Formats: sequence, C-alpha cells, structure tokens
Amino acid sequence: MDDIGENHEHELENRNENSINCQAPVMSSDWQFGGANLTSGGMSLVPSDNPLAIGSSCASVADSFGSNIWEHPSNSQNLGFCGFNVQHGGSSSNAVGIGRGTLTTLRSSIDRPFDMGWNAASSTLKGGFLLPNTNRILPQSLSQLPDDSAFIERAARFSSFIGGNFSDMVSPLGMPESVGLYTRGVGLMPVHEYVFSANEMKSVSSVESQKSKLNVAEATRDACLQVENRAKESPLRKDGRSGSLVPANEETKQGTGGSGNESDEPEFSGREGGQDEPSSLDGTGGEPSTKGLSAKKRKRSLQDAEIDQAKRGQTPTEAAKDGAENQQKGDQKQATSANKNTGKKVSPASHPPKEEYIHVRARRGQATNNHSLAERVRREKISERMNFLQDLVPGCNKVTGKAVMLDEIINYVQSLQRQVEFLSMKLATVNPRLDFNIEGLLAKDIIQSRAGPSSTLGFSPDLSVGYASLHLSQPGLVQAALPVTGNNADVIPRSLSSQLTSMTGGLKEPNQLLNSWEDELHNVVQMNYGTSAPFNSLNVYFTLLLISYLMGQMSSDLIKIYLMLFAGP
Amino acid sequence: MNNPHHMNPRSLKSRFTTRFLRALTKIRAQKPISSSSPTEIFRRYRKIKVAADKSMAYSVRSRKTWSRAMLWKLRSRSHRRRPVKTKFRQSVMKNTKTTTTTGEDGVGFGVEASELRELVPGGEAMDLCNLLDETAHYIKCLTTQVQVMKKIADFYSL
Repeated sequence: MDDIGENHEHELENRNENSINCQAPVMSSDWQFGGANLTSGGMSLVPSDNPLAIGSSCASVADSFGSNIWEHPSNSQNLGFCGFNVQHGGSSSNAVGIGRGTLTTLRSSIDRPFDMGWNAASSTLKGGFLLPNTNRILPQSLSQLPDDSAFIERAARFSSFIGGNFSDMVSPLGMPESVGLYTRGVGLMPVHEYVFSANEMKSVSSVESQKSKLNVAEATRDACLQVENRAKESPLRKDGRSGSLVPANEETKQGTGGSGNESDEPEFSGREGGQDEPSSLDGTGGEPSTKGLSAKKRKRSLQDAEIDQAKRGQTPTEAAKDGAENQQKGDQKQATSANKNTGKKVSPASHPPKEEYIHVRARRGQATNNHSLAERVRREKISERMNFLQDLVPGCNKVTGKAVMLDEIINYVQSLQRQVEFLSMKLATVNPRLDFNIEGLLAKDIIQSRAGPSSTLGFSPDLSVGYASLHLSQPGLVQAALPVTGNNADVIPRSLSSQLTSMTGGLKEPNQLLNSWEDELHNVVQMNYGTSAPFNSLNVYFTLLLISYLMGQMSSDLIKIYLMLFAGP
Repeated sequence: MNNPHHMNPRSLKSRFTTRFLRALTKIRAQKPISSSSPTEIFRRYRKIKVAADKSMAYSVRSRKTWSRAMLWKLRSRSHRRRPVKTKFRQSVMKNTKTTTTTGEDGVGFGVEASELRELVPGGEAMDLCNLLDETAHYIKCLTTQVQVMKKIADFYSL
C-alpha cells in the first residue's frame, strides 16, 4: 500500500512539475481556459502558498462537501482529494502527511471493479465533480448523488484526476462559473480515460501491475492534456470556422491520422462497447483524435471550447469520445515509445522538456526541445492545409512536394483572377439583350444551377489555358481588343492584322510566328463569321491571347500550344 | 424551371450573385451600352471588375482577412480617387511582415510564399499557416465568382 502510495505521490509530483512547466506561460491567461492550463495555473500558484493554508482551504471545501448532501462516511476521502491537491501544490511533507493515509483508502477504492456502471457514474460525476469548486454549484449537483457506491466510484475517479483538476478546488474559488464550466467539461474526461486506462491495464499483459498503474496515471495525464486539446479543437472546429476549414479537419483525419489513431479506433470502440456508445465514437472520435495530434495554440478558442463543451448536453458522449481518443493516444504513445512503459520511474526529468503548454508529446526518436516541438506542430498544420488546398486546386493530386504544390496554387489563383478580369471585360462589352426585370430570374437561375458546362470555349475545363495568359488590366490591351467588339466581323481581321503589323516592329519575336498567328486568326474568325453572336468569346479570347503575347506576356511555346487548342478540330 | 436542388439563400454563391447583379444593373443604367468607344468600355470594365470584387468581399464580410483587406483597399481607393501611397499602411505592412515572416519556420517556402502573399489580398500580414487558410477560402470564393460571372456572360451573349 505504501509503495503504491509512494508511486502515486511520485507521479503526482511529476505531473505537477510537468503541468507547471507546461503551463507556466499560460498562467497569465484567462481563467476560463479549459483543461490543464487552468489547473496547472492553480497548481503553480499553490506552491507559493502555505501548504497548511491549502490544507485548510481544502478542509473548508471538504466541509462544505460534508455539510451538504454528502452523508457518506467518506469525509476522509474528501480530504483525500484535498490531499492530492496539496501534494500537487507543495509536494511538501505536510501535504504528503495529509495525503498518504487517504491515498491508500482511495487506492483501495480505485482498485474496485471499474465496470460498475460507469455510465451512471459518469453522469453523476459531472455533478459531483463540481462540488469542490463552488458552493453555488453544490446544490444542483449534489442532488444527483445517488448512493454510496456511486460516490465511491466517483472518489475513485477523483483520484485519477491527477492532471490537476484538484487545483480547481484550491485556487480558483474566486472563479466559480468558469471553473465550474471547465470542470464540468474536464471532469468527465479523466473518468473515461481512467476507464480506458483500466482496460489498458488488462490488455497490457507484459507490464507489471504497478507499471500499468503508472501507465494509467501517465495516460491519464496525457489524456487530460490531450482531451483538453480536443475539447478546444472540436468546438472550435464546429464553431466559427468557415466551411472551407471543415474539410481541412477531414483532411487532417486522413493526413495525420496515419499516426495510428485510426487503427486504434476500431479496437478501441470494441473495448468501449460495454461502457458507452461506441457508435458515437466511431463517427465522431476520428475527427478530434487526429486533432489531438496536432495541438493548437488558440487561447480564446479554449475559453469558447470549454464553455461550449460544458454547455453541451452530450457530455457523456463527448467525454466518452474524448476518452476514446485518450485511450488511442495513450495506446499509440505507448506503442511508439516503448521506453515510456518503464520510463515513469526512469526518466521523470525527461517529461518537462517533452511537454509544452500545447501538449504535444515528442515521438520516439525525435528531438524534444520546445522549439522543435513547436516547429513540428507548425509543420503538421501547414501540411494539413496543403492537403486541403490540393483538393481545391484541380490537377494537383499527382503533384508531390510542397514547393511544386505551392507553385500550382499560385498559378491557379492567378488564372482565377485573370478569368475574373476577363469576364468583367466581357460583361462590359456585351449587350444586355434582356430587360432588367429579368435580372431576378437570372439570379435565381444562377444560384440554383450548379456549375454547368460553359458555352465559351475559352473556359473549357482546361485551366492551363487560363494560367498563362491575359493581363487585361493594361489599357493597351483593352485598346487593342476593342476592335473585336464591333458588330462587323469582317472588321476584325483587318484591324487585327494592322495592329499586328504595327506592333511587329518593336518585337524581337520571329515574324513567322506572327504570320502564322495572323493566318490562324483569319481562319478562326471566318469560321465564326456566320454565328449570330456579334460578340464571340472565342474571338475575344483569341485576340486577347494574341495581344498579350505581343505585349510580351507569354512565351512562344505557350502561344503554339494555344494555337493548337483553338485552331484545331 | 424545375429545379430539384435546394436553393440556399444564404450561401456564398447566392449572396454574391444578388449583389453583383444589382451592381451590374446600376452600372448599365448609368450609360447606354451602344457606344463602343474604347475609353468608355474600359471604364465600364473597371467598374464591373470593382463591383465584382466588392460584391465578393461584401458577401464574405469580415470573416476572412483577405476580404477585410480587399474592402479596405476598395474603400481607400474610392475615397481618395488617386493612387495614394498610404504610408501608414505600408509601414504597418512592413512591420507585420518583419515580425511574421522573418526567417522560415523550417519549411522552406520563402519564394512561393511571398508570391502567394502578393496574390491574396492582405496576404502580407499573415504567417504561412493563416496564409494557406486564407488562400483556400479565397480560391473557393474566386471559383464562385468565376462561375457566376460566366453564367451571366453566357446569358447575355446568347
């Protein structure tokens, strides 16, 4: 028992250090931060206080516990929570003294069967967990306490909240609502991760029970941190993001999900079966799990995320989902870093450098200083967005490599901008054949119809045509293009040829190309001479192409290509 | 016309279409199109282009950095009516540029990223990550714009 207690304390201390190290930079941020940020903020405040004061505050909170509805004979357990917290706070001998006795009792309660109605317990835990934080929240939550066994389970879960929710008890007593919301959100997370860690314990056959407990604690801690990431991320994703970014998340799923979460998910959901809805996990677990891998640094969104998560009525499902991801994360981490199974005792000092306040864990064999971690996160973000852009830009699936992709993107954006210019030019010249009353119908038609095939040859889906071409914004080009807009088709070749000859003098390009251009243009124009449309897009496009070439905008190779395209069959 | 697809009145496409058509009719109402003098057509072309950009930026409001930058550009242009150097803006851009784009974040995107920044309005003041986000949204809006304008042009030229 004492050994267990010792190890537990050790873990607590480690975790305390870690979270303090991790979240010291975040200290100054709002209390409404969800997750371990808040708790570690509290925790880092704690050491500066007198541990006795902490204990007394704990006691006061515990008294508030006991005085209300907690008629269970487990005031010692209450103190045990405070004891945990105190241990967190000071890692002082006083705290240890308080905590140790209760630690053992909690441990025993932890060791009880985990499968005892986690669902009900989790839902009640929500209420119960709020207790340490405010008296205000107490009445509503305490009413949910069913009976002794449920409470004991809750106590068991409390012990697993090593990630620092306990600090909420002590420090942010002045921040009732936000903390309450936070804990409501976060409180559920460790429950399920504890559940999973329990499963993990069963599944990890090669690990000793003690080590597995350490792993549990470790996974719990990681899960705590990562759950909050997902808590941040999932509401963030659902909230104010544009539609374009939602697919980015899906992309993330595919892109970064290869780290193993996807593979873990099915087996995980199988494990989950007895406890929470696995179906919900399958559907939604994948999304946040990969987000957990790419931790985000959004402070404001954390607040929103926590509040949103707290306000959602699906907290059990979400917590289960989060817990699922934690489980996967824990599995993955332990699978990828074998040394960590035994590493809890071996390298407690290695944890602080591996963790920073965005809760990214270094993978095995990778550099672990904060800069490289931040860089890795950034790189992951960027690659995720590049994948999304790859879908947007047509014809980029075969392209590999970031530089080439970026070039393609740049070309595509340029071509789109030029198309807009060209179309506005066309609209400026076209005759409005219809009454203005029809504008409304036109609008409806446009909105309702999908992107159908365009009748203008110039915009056939071969966007590469658009890529290279037109700089219509130059007045010279417009001037040159104007003759085409006349209603007399026979004027066109004459004016164009005259312009060609006039422009030829100043150019270094070979004349035969220009002559071939002239001929082609003649052919094309004569082909289209019979059409009823006085303003033929082909004419315009071809002419403008020619002119832009003459202005030196295009290379001769491209001109040849376009000649093939337009003057061909 | 029977249309099985549901029309979303608040989609980007519909917002842009209504705004743009309104602007188009306004422009057309100003001068008759029969005159085909080059300068007039050029002027009309500029107006239409500005109207297209403006309607797109207004459809997106301030949700995206690029739309905000575009609106800012359009407003300053319309207010001053001359190529203003806007020293303030330049200095702001320079400052933000130095702070956000100094060095590379280990990815090696320098040249292309700067090109992209020039293309996407407001891109100078964004780091690569946000730049890619903005680019994605900008591409989506540009494709919508092109689609709508194509349809309008086809409608009128047929």
